[in-house]
Amino acid sequence: MKESKLAKQNQQQQQQYNHQNDHLSPSKWTKLFDPDATWDKDQLGDVLHWIRQGMGLICGLLWGSIPLVGGIWIILFLVISSGIIYGYYAMILKVDEEDFGGHAALLQEGLFASFTLFLLAWILVYSLAHF
Amino acid sequence: MATTIPLFASFKYADSLTVVGISFCTALVCEAISWILIYRTSSYKSLKYSIDKAAKKLETMKTENPSSKLTIKKSKTKKIDRVETSLKESSRDLSLFKFKSGAVVALVLFVVFGLLNSLFEGKVVAKLPFHPITIVKKMSHRGLKGDDPTDCSMAFLYLLCSISIRTNLQKFLGFSPPRGAASAGGLFPMPDPKTN
Repeated sequence: MKESKLAKQNQQQQQQYNHQNDHLSPSKWTKLFDPDATWDKDQLGDVLHWIRQGMGLICGLLWGSIPLVGGIWIILFLVISSGIIYGYYAMILKVDEEDFGGHAALLQEGLFASFTLFLLAWILVYSLAHF
Repeated sequence: MATTIPLFASFKYADSLTVVGISFCTALVCEAISWILIYRTSSYKSLKYSIDKAAKKLETMKTENPSSKLTIKKSKTKKIDRVETSLKESSRDLSLFKFKSGAVVALVLFVVFGLLNSLFEGKVVAKLPFHPITIVKKMSHRGLKGDDPTDCSMAFLYLLCSISIRTNLQKFLGFSPPRGAASAGGLFPMPDPKTN
């Protein structure tokens, strides 16, 4: 177990050369769904951050268009977005959360920004589309 | 005062788009100022590099020597402590460096907020799709007449815009603070019990 962790770390250090390059190549897209891929703490954090922002924007646009009204939908958004993030890193990527600071560190990645983005999108669409 | 362009005049709450537009432009200006005063300087680049390096080194050392092991060598523990101290010092230096230059950004934000306040004082710029809790209502209903809790003032919308747009813009441009600095405590780190 310890040897496989060390081997994974060596691979991660080698892959740090590619970290500076932000262009999304096909290999980076496939890496997003590859359970065997190795992840740097920063890389995984960034991916989870942007997934959260995407969900915040989509939910805000959706909640505002329907429209969904009431504080309960804020709680539902938080539950849904956290559930999706958890499902993504635990079941799709199958990462060991202990290597990345635990569940709390991964789940709070981008949380506040996505929450404010969700509220902003929800309020804007609701106000503009229904009045 | 005309605050919306004719295209959006049919929307009752078109002023919300003005607030978002001004917030977005302000965020761009603030990041440009930050880039000029902070991010392009060699001091910032070297501090960021040393923080990233120390954080990664610390992570590797801690993974190789988990705290549950009873047979950790004293020299390894001392090494970990040295790297941690160096990380905390670099994080503190980085925070202090950004704090001094951040005063200019704060001034810009203050001026923009004042401008928006004068444009939209007492105006309902949006409608909230929920009833806010008391503490949120103090900001969302700031300066507005009437008792409708779902009326949204400029201040609350501007706050949401500032946080969401600036955070994501910083992330997108690569100006976010390094993760190692965040965990090391920044400007006011907690005292290390091991050194006392």
